[in-house]
Amino acid sequence: MIRTPLRPLARILEARAKGENPDVIERENTRLRHEEMRDQTRARSEGRLLVLGVMFLCAYAVIGVRMGVMAGSEPEEPRARAEGSHIVAQRSDIVDRRGRVLATNLETHSLYAQPPQMIDPVRVAGALAEIFPDLDEERLVRDFTGKRKFVWIKRKISPEQKQAVHDIGDPGLLFGPREMRLYPNGKLASHVLGGASFGREGVDAAELIGVAGVEKVFDDFLRDPSEESRPLQLSLDLTVQAAAEQVLWGGMKLMNAKGAASVLMDVHTGEVISVVSLPDFDPNDRPRGPTEGAPDDTPLFNRAVQGVYELGSTFKIFTVAQALELDLVEPSTMVDTSGPLRWGRHRIRDFRDYGAELTVEDVIAKSSNVGTARLAQKIGAEEQRAFLAALGLLERTPAEIVEASGSTPLLPKKWSEISAMTISYGHGLSVSPMHLAAGYAAIANGGTRIKPTLLKRDGRQDGPRVMRPQVAAAARDMLRKAVTDGTASFGDVPGYVVGGKTGTADKPTPQGGYYEDKVIASFASIFPAHDPKYVLVLTLDEPETFALDEVRRTAGWTAVPVAAEMINRLAPLLGLRPQLEPGQLAGITLTSN
Amino acid sequence: MSYLEHTVKYTPTGPRKVLYLNWPIALLLVSVAAIGFLMLYSVAGGSFLPWAEPQMKRFAIGFVLMLGIAMVPLYFWRNVAPLGYLCTIALLALVAVMGDTGMGAQRWLDLGFIRLQPSELMKITLVMLLAAYYDWLPLSKVSHPLWVALPVAMILLPTLMVLTQPDLGTAILLLAGGGAIMFLAGVHWTYFAAVIAAGVGVVTAVLQSRGTEWQLLNDYQFRRIDTFLDPAADPLGAGYHITQSKIALGSGGWAGRGFMQGTQSQLNFLPEKHTDFIFTTLAEEFGFVGAVSLLALYALIIFFCVVSALSNPNRFAALLTLGIATTFFLYFAVNMAMVTGLIPVVGVPLPLVSYGGSAMLVLMVGFGLVQSADVHKPR
Repeated sequence: MIRTPLRPLARILEARAKGENPDVIERENTRLRHEEMRDQTRARSEGRLLVLGVMFLCAYAVIGVRMGVMAGSEPEEPRARAEGSHIVAQRSDIVDRRGRVLATNLETHSLYAQPPQMIDPVRVAGALAEIFPDLDEERLVRDFTGKRKFVWIKRKISPEQKQAVHDIGDPGLLFGPREMRLYPNGKLASHVLGGASFGREGVDAAELIGVAGVEKVFDDFLRDPSEESRPLQLSLDLTVQAAAEQVLWGGMKLMNAKGAASVLMDVHTGEVISVVSLPDFDPNDRPRGPTEGAPDDTPLFNRAVQGVYELGSTFKIFTVAQALELDLVEPSTMVDTSGPLRWGRHRIRDFRDYGAELTVEDVIAKSSNVGTARLAQKIGAEEQRAFLAALGLLERTPAEIVEASGSTPLLPKKWSEISAMTISYGHGLSVSPMHLAAGYAAIANGGTRIKPTLLKRDGRQDGPRVMRPQVAAAARDMLRKAVTDGTASFGDVPGYVVGGKTGTADKPTPQGGYYEDKVIASFASIFPAHDPKYVLVLTLDEPETFALDEVRRTAGWTAVPVAAEMINRLAPLLGLRPQLEPGQLAGITLTSN
Repeated sequence: MSYLEHTVKYTPTGPRKVLYLNWPIALLLVSVAAIGFLMLYSVAGGSFLPWAEPQMKRFAIGFVLMLGIAMVPLYFWRNVAPLGYLCTIALLALVAVMGDTGMGAQRWLDLGFIRLQPSELMKITLVMLLAAYYDWLPLSKVSHPLWVALPVAMILLPTLMVLTQPDLGTAILLLAGGGAIMFLAGVHWTYFAAVIAAGVGVVTAVLQSRGTEWQLLNDYQFRRIDTFLDPAADPLGAGYHITQSKIALGSGGWAGRGFMQGTQSQLNFLPEKHTDFIFTTLAEEFGFVGAVSLLALYALIIFFCVVSALSNPNRFAALLTLGIATTFFLYFAVNMAMVTGLIPVVGVPLPLVSYGGSAMLVLMVGFGLVQSADVHKPR
């Protein structure tokens, strides 16, 4: 057997032996070998070609898909501008009760930079630092030359500044429209309005978000795009507010007080016509909140709503009214006022000794602590608490200012008999001036409770009745008498028939006692007393004046004259005409006949 | 070619060869070149100067050159392949010594009558040499380590020379084109697997070494790699081309903005708009439809080359045709991937469309060889 590799050679030898041409055999052998080799090559090459073809196809598909994706995409630049969800910059105006603007929006521009587009960052930084002196040039250079692709430079710029920046002429500096909250009246009603600041910010717009006051309480309404054309109308009267702020500021300075507050309320509707707290601030440039010190040290603190104070003798009228309502006394009933009144280890004494007894009327006019406390003993703690609660003095004021939520009245831990006795003349219970105004409004409007509101409303509020109309009328007469013959004699304003009650409360020390020489002087007044339309509560924080060779701190010498001046100024603005008191008119008639 | 004679039915000779030219490929080449003229006319703002007219002249010369080469018998080209390779290597060496510098790289050789880029020529001569080598090499030796090392050396020598010019794009094309021919010639797949694994390993090792004690490259070299891989990090420097071409492609959309309406290229935002990045002009003015049409023309050229190679019993002819088709494919695939931002920017022109003499002439020479293989195919 001849082995396979030798088979071609064997064939040649065999052919030679037969006499055939060996070259033909050789050629045949070569051809067969080559064809075999070629077939092998082909098969493998075709396999390889298939692999390569698949790779080609993949590359084709990737490039094709990529081109499709790029062709289908929006051009890059416009897309970058539309990024992010839509920001609604809209915010409604706030107007006063007569439609005058208290807060509105102003179109301004914001300034930002895209450093990658910037041609000469160092020059731009220098130029910007010149236009805005508060910017740090080195920091800008760092921002512009670093890796950042977007830098806020200024949130709000004026048209002049915009032009100046425009003149730098660098494509990397860009402007975005920006609505800005503007309070055209400056400090006027600052505590009511509160303030707004930017929320979510985009290049094309920024949200305006209320941070305090009605701006915060009505934030949803103000930002609701469907209410765009409807402004928020407040109960405030811009003119009255301005006059009140002016008078109160003068009074505060005159009486050397460190702070002051006033609330003017319509007794029938509960609308707050003016509310002032001093010192105040400019909501256009709202200061930052304090990080230390007492909360009422900052101008942001709203004394009229946020501040709760022991308002002193102004509370006596509630005690007397309740005693009348319960038919325990008549206005002319004599009450034992001999002091000091001992109750356990407590002693209650009057500012002056008013003798053995006074009529109920005179207890108010002279402001006798002892007399009021004895009435409170007759009424009882539970009854007193229920009555004050019915007047709304024991719960948070419903006034629509966000800070009002913090003004919860401070109640005694245990409403005992001694608590009732001190509360009867305004100690041991702290409420805000807004509370007090609401309480007095109930007496002034004939005995129904009202809820104070900062929104303009139509028609009177008819709240639940808390006292009979006759009782309310009697209480009003007593308030009038306190002005004509009592502690509030400086409060008489000719023509406007003021009735009211003073209150001088020693300020509590942080340690729990009371200061000897620091008081809160308040005057709660109603006018005109025979047919009250308005209630005005005015408090002065630490007033001190020198009169008739004596340092005077009592409300009769401090808060009352300021309130009188305020009523004198505000009454004409409120549309009240000077008139004579009906009773006096009768008296004049009698004497002239 | 003794063994061919036994299976030959008919091989055209003399002037009859013209009839047996591969006319589909010739027509496709003319179409693609015509698109190129159109785009060059457009980027010049509606003018034949400075680009469209020279390009047309060059294409005419190239076309005649192609026909001439097609008439020359294929065995001549096989026989001159080693000589051509050595000459090109010599030219590359000459460029390194006395070449002109253009665009920051030394790759031009002024021969007096023509400014030549030997690196372009090398793409063809390398393919010719490798095809001739595997035609010569007995099939049983194809995967023998020694006979694998030899073509690897043939590929690496010009690749390294081109890389030092520096011309990364051409180097990649040489490497990939040569590798493809070795693959098609039937070299055992484990070699390719080993090379790919080693390459991936080296790259990973280099990248992993960053920040460690045994760091393999300097920090500035790593930073260059960073910019190379992520041009968006440097939008006004390395990434400028890509950013602008992306904008152009996006603004073209599906149907394009219309002839001569491309803002991005007309307004001179794009540098190299007439050379490597001319595809963006096409994509902006004729949109996705235009871009895919060009891609389809290229695909047809490749297709006809593959058909021609498959029907050719001559190993040299088949390998040569497929090698040139692969080089052609790599040209436009790398260019389009680069323009569409799929891969980093390496300087590779769009074949037959981009403005440029050497690349155009060399490609026409290459297709001349393809035609020659097709003409002298026994049928």
